[in-house]
Amino acid sequence: MAIKSIDGCIGCGECVKSCPTDVIRLDPKTKKAVITYPEDCQICHLCRMNCPVDAITIDPTKSIPVVVSWG
Amino acid sequence: MSENEKKGLSRRQFLGLATGVVGAAALTGLGMKIRWNTKEREIDLDTFTSEETGTDVLVIGGGMAGLFASVKAHDAGAKVHLVSKGRLGSSGQTPFAKGIFVYDEKTASVTLDEFTDLVSKSAINTNNPVYTRQMAIHSKERVNELRDWGFFESPLYHKAFSKPINERNIPVSERIMITHLIKENGRIAGAAGFSIDEAKIHIFKAKSVILCTGAGGFKPNGFPICDLTHDGSIMAYKIGAKITGKEWNDGHSGSQDNPAACYDGWHGMFDRTPSVNGVEVHHDLGMDANYSAYILGNPVSSGPGSQMVEGGPYVPDGFTREMEEMGPPAIDGDQKGPKGPPPGDEDGRGAPPQNNDEGGAPPGMASAASGGASAGMAIHKSEGIVPINEKGESNIPGLYAAGDALGSHMAGGIYTQVGSSLAGSAVQGAIAAEAAAEYVKTVSLQSIPSSSVSAIKEEILAPLKRESGYTPAWVTQTLQGIMIPNFVLYIKKENLMKAALAYIEELRDHHMPMLRASNLHELRLAHETGNMIISAEMKLRASLMRTESRCSHYRLDYPDVDYDNWQAWINIYKGSDGQMKLEKQAFDAWPAQ
Amino acid sequence: METRNKRPYLLIGVAVYLLIPLIYLLLADFPERTVLKNAISFLTLGAYFLMLGQFYLTRINKVTLQGNKFSSVIKKHKIIGYIFIPILILHPFLIVVPRFFESGVDPSDALKTILTTYTSSGLIVGMVAMILMICLGITSMFRAKLRLPYRTWRITHGILSILFVITATWHAIDLGRHTDIVLSIYMILLAATGIFFLLKLYIMNPQNKGGRK
Ligand SMILES: Cc1cc2nc3c(=O)[nH]c(=O)nc-3n(C[C@H](O)[C@H](O)[C@H](O)COP(=O)(O)OP(=O)(O)OC[C@H]3O[C@@H](n4cnc5c(N)ncnc54)[C@H](O)[C@@H]3O)c2cc1C
Ligand code: SF4
Ligand code: SF4
Repeated sequence: MAIKSIDGCIGCGECVKSCPTDVIRLDPKTKKAVITYPEDCQICHLCRMNCPVDAITIDPTKSIPVVVSWG
Repeated sequence: MSENEKKGLSRRQFLGLATGVVGAAALTGLGMKIRWNTKEREIDLDTFTSEETGTDVLVIGGGMAGLFASVKAHDAGAKVHLVSKGRLGSSGQTPFAKGIFVYDEKTASVTLDEFTDLVSKSAINTNNPVYTRQMAIHSKERVNELRDWGFFESPLYHKAFSKPINERNIPVSERIMITHLIKENGRIAGAAGFSIDEAKIHIFKAKSVILCTGAGGFKPNGFPICDLTHDGSIMAYKIGAKITGKEWNDGHSGSQDNPAACYDGWHGMFDRTPSVNGVEVHHDLGMDANYSAYILGNPVSSGPGSQMVEGGPYVPDGFTREMEEMGPPAIDGDQKGPKGPPPGDEDGRGAPPQNNDEGGAPPGMASAASGGASAGMAIHKSEGIVPINEKGESNIPGLYAAGDALGSHMAGGIYTQVGSSLAGSAVQGAIAAEAAAEYVKTVSLQSIPSSSVSAIKEEILAPLKRESGYTPAWVTQTLQGIMIPNFVLYIKKENLMKAALAYIEELRDHHMPMLRASNLHELRLAHETGNMIISAEMKLRASLMRTESRCSHYRLDYPDVDYDNWQAWINIYKGSDGQMKLEKQAFDAWPAQ
Repeated sequence: METRNKRPYLLIGVAVYLLIPLIYLLLADFPERTVLKNAISFLTLGAYFLMLGQFYLTRINKVTLQGNKFSSVIKKHKIIGYIFIPILILHPFLIVVPRFFESGVDPSDALKTILTTYTSSGLIVGMVAMILMICLGITSMFRAKLRLPYRTWRITHGILSILFVITATWHAIDLGRHTDIVLSIYMILLAATGIFFLLKLYIMNPQNKGGRK
């Protein structure tokens, strides 16, 4: 899941710029933020913290299998 | 996909990994289920334009080091351009660091000499005392400047970082991934990369380049460094710079529940405004948790009553800590633990006492730890470009590095002074900037032959042009499967490292040249994946060469510190035959030139 | 006519314009948020729905108002206007209030970003709606001072209302975090009904001099 949904976006682009891993893009037509590459989300919440209208919901689970050192 | 299914997937994956080399195969199978099948190219290759920019000093990277490098180079009279693949103050590791070290002679409990000695003692001599001292000496000035810019007032740093940059009208280009350093006539001539937003290649002509590109990792789960893949080191290596410290490891662990959730794993840390801390030297976040996980198996629990393991990494006298103090490796420990600073306090977490009860770990989270949160990253400042002097200068004239991109060994091969990583990036950025600003007075801007430019453009766009090949996402997961297991990356032994190296060489020789991208996002991933492959090779070769255990480098087959043969760092460089070469550099010497 | 029973217009109005949307908001699957954030969202949405409900509290509502005293209806119309217009004026500010209690962008910076984002139509339409709404409020408050003939005022009020409801609905559907397809359709239905009956009254009954004071 990682970054999960964007509701109430005003299209300011802050989240796009503040995401280190380029997960979010503005839709060229609607000018709204779209979760474009969720598999690269590192669940750091910078986008959410930067959104002026608090539109972003993030889930702690990753959208692709996770590789760790032991399990 | 339900959460359970996802867990199931990763379980299966672990099973695959547990059989070592089979891991890669298991992932291959898994990969098909996800979504890296053939995709159509989404971008028209004919629409690519290119832009050329000239400047005195090109600063690459918009973290703490890049901020000070830009500001100080400007203030020293140079024309500066700052370029970063992410946003200023919102990319790399800087946005997540909340504790910054200040050495204040008036209040410090120890003198500068004592401080430096303490760090050397904890680091078993792996630190470069010149850089340790330098960081302490200048920390206060840098922190005061940060305070003036409003750094301590917000949990988000972009605004405070923009203040001095805007006041000086320093041009900033964000969301440009630099892929190439350009060397002409034996000295630096600029850098090149591409925009991830528009079909445009950027050529920066510069008299000097300061690499502030941070460190990197294997896009691990649990540490917010998935945008960092040692790009600076690998680009510099390719044009002849030396790289050090690849055998060290950062021992951060995550939680078994949602290992990838960085924000949750740090329990409110990212929400805090930054704070300062004083002298506090430890020997932290080495391989202890990895060792106990290796010996005892999962769950690696901690806290009162947890088992002590016999053997394992050597901790110098005076720096040992009770196991229960050490644990839980799970990050929440440092805020909930009743006893003193648990691991991670190198970062200054837990330093400001008033913050300690923030964050509220959900109950039950202090459970089992998972390893490899920061896989592929070493102790901050211990890996990167080899400096030839105390100014962050590399062996390539005009090329400087600062912060996590510089292998300054400021802290050594283990975390020593709490909060010194941020302070060190600030200090080194400023020092490299002043040196670069001096240097640019002595040279002129070089022109870059059009043949070089077109060759670079060709290399940049190659993954987009390929009609068939491998997706960066798949190659990355395969690399993770090879490198991240505890018994490869952390608890090292010769035969397994050689086996892993064979896999990595396969990725290097057959997969790296066939990385394929369908859009600009994937083009960035393709170049990052290439850098990770070379970085993995470096890690394995340096770890194989270092036949001892010390600080965060632990070998099962050579478990002891070898004071006779290994009072030395390992430098990696590209030989004239194009092969990766390794050399020793004595702890008390600058590199052979 | 007077012999007819009073119809429970208030009950119906509250149900249509408040209860149904509220129940939907509570039952539908929206991301979980803090009580404060939900309270602000619901207040804003509630205010919007009550503005739609203003059509209902006028003479154009021939159905459920029957048998009720018109002066008391129009009093409610006024009270709702004077309370909820200010809330809607404040809502851009309310949106950033939770940031005072939660780490992230500074509330004043957030507000600055909100007020300077002109790339999306939703925000511009919202600003137009805001201006129309303020005009509605002012022309109502100072109706006596304006000295407009009653019919002119009433037509102005009606036209402003129609424009306001169209732009506000557009804005709410475009930018509202809770306006999913279901709620959007409901909003459009209510707005369209209101506009339809208002126009019907104007067109069918142009020389209606109005029984209102
Ligand atoms: C979760 C976390 C907590 C931490 N806590 C602390 C702490 O409390 N105290 C402390 O002292 N340290 C802490 N650290 C470490 C500290 O954050 C780093 O050591 C420090 O911020 C490094 O700064 P830097 O400027 O050298 O590199 P970074 O901040 O990593 O910046 C690297 C920059 O380079 C850019 N870049 C990289 N590659 C390219 C490329 N190819 N092209 C263009 N641009 C590129 C990136 O976009 C980024 O802007 C923490 C780190 C993490 C991850
Ligand atoms: S949580 Fe972090 S990585 Fe994920 S989309 Fe937001 S900013 Fe990007
Ligand atoms: S920051 Fe928020 S409002 Fe701005 S574009 Fe992103 S989601 Fe939309």
